[in-house]
Amino acid sequence: MERRSFIKTALSAAGAAALGSTGLNAGTTRQPIDNREISEVAFPEKRPMITYSDRPPLLESTRDVFAYPITPNDQFFVRWHMPDIPTKIDPKNYTIHINGLVNKELHITLDELKNNFEQVEVTAVLQCGGNSRSAFQPTAGGIQWGSGAMGCAKWKGVRLSDLLDRAGLKKEAAWIGFNGQDNAAYYKTPNFVRELHLDELDDHVIVAYEMNGEDLPYLNGYPVRLVIPGYYSDSWVKMLSNITVTDKYKSLFFMDVAYRVPDNECECETPENRAKTTKPITKMNVKSVIGYPSNNSKLNHDSQVVIRGVAFDSGHGIREVLISLDEGKTWENAILDDGGQGRYGFRSFRFGFKPTKYGKMTIMSKAINNIGHEQPFAKDIKWNHGGYKYNGIDEITVEVV
Amino acid sequence: MNMKHTMKKLLLAAMIVSTPLFAQVKEDVAVPYIAFPIKMGKGFDTVQANCLTCHSFGYMINQGKQSREFWEEKVNKMIHAFKADLISQEDAKIITDYLFEQYGNGKLK
Repeated sequence: MERRSFIKTALSAAGAAALGSTGLNAGTTRQPIDNREISEVAFPEKRPMITYSDRPPLLESTRDVFAYPITPNDQFFVRWHMPDIPTKIDPKNYTIHINGLVNKELHITLDELKNNFEQVEVTAVLQCGGNSRSAFQPTAGGIQWGSGAMGCAKWKGVRLSDLLDRAGLKKEAAWIGFNGQDNAAYYKTPNFVRELHLDELDDHVIVAYEMNGEDLPYLNGYPVRLVIPGYYSDSWVKMLSNITVTDKYKSLFFMDVAYRVPDNECECETPENRAKTTKPITKMNVKSVIGYPSNNSKLNHDSQVVIRGVAFDSGHGIREVLISLDEGKTWENAILDDGGQGRYGFRSFRFGFKPTKYGKMTIMSKAINNIGHEQPFAKDIKWNHGGYKYNGIDEITVEVV
Repeated sequence: MNMKHTMKKLLLAAMIVSTPLFAQVKEDVAVPYIAFPIKMGKGFDTVQANCLTCHSFGYMINQGKQSREFWEEKVNKMIHAFKADLISQEDAKIITDYLFEQYGNGKLK
């Protein structure tokens, strides 16, 4: 893939910004755009990252963080929907309200959350449904993410089921709505609310206040967020403040319009012929990303190179990761870590080799999960207009010198 | 507010585990302003007057090159779904024209 710099250093002190542009070769899916440069400007609690927007904040991680099974908090991607996020949170008075079809309304402070319930931990991948969207041709609508709209962290908090048990669900309870603290600029704009059916909520869903042993970063939803292992991040409501139990599904913009894919076998459509019906994106498909080497880097001839990366899916777990050094003709097994992060986390892989031919070469990684699902080649990914759920075999190009 | 950084590619030698902080940011959080390199052109004033109420220019220029219909739908989404109904029909057309001219792919659909 052609190397492009998407950054033009702005003349102002504010620094750099990503400039999206894509070539148009109709009807194909390719590797997502990579090697975008990081901004000169750092956001609160973050190192400088690839920056698509400051309002709302949209920040992407660079490929190199995926050489490791845990993504550092200060390099973890950020995606908000609303322009106004509270710029001050008072942890002493922050309250999570549980109401609706419950026997007892609850107003839980952070302190109570940390002390009055069983504390649990889960390591889970948080990935935007539009991660890698820039792979879709013609350009799919939305931010043209590379592969860095994802990360893996160890989350600590309280089971949602414990909170709901404490409130006591009435028998007609069926839907749980989650509302965060970010606000629209206009009073009438629909809030970013997610609703999940009770059947979708198992014991792995937690209300988390800690990420990798620290408070959640402000931009990742301080002080508490929903963690739904295996699901795309649009359901992981940030700055969670309200949990409302209902018996009927409420029509909501972000549930009915955004974050949806065609409701057919291939979840696909063509630009000319859009699918009539759609469904929410929900569970993640199997995917792998190479963290090292990076695209368009140089490797020394005859040196001992260790390729590293991560693989994950919706919670079935990763069975194998295969590496190809000959453009997908032959594949060899990478060595997987012991799976200690559990089935929802990144499973890291490594593969040692010695480049013996001078010149350009490609390195590909393909993950296969425990139920036999494997990543397709990028070119075999079917198009959808939202640019969701890309999971093509990852590919980088390096030069052996 | 903005510290200028020059950034070198950092290699993570090790994951540093720090003690949990009780809210790492103690005062109001300041999200930096970034001057995105927006293209000047016919209708830009209208874009500036209407769009920045809710989002940065970055949000617009990072959508990729798109068809006229795409941009029209986006502007309509802002008005109807996001209730930015202060945008007049007239301005909506000016904004759509601008977006298609500057960030279009040359296709109507």
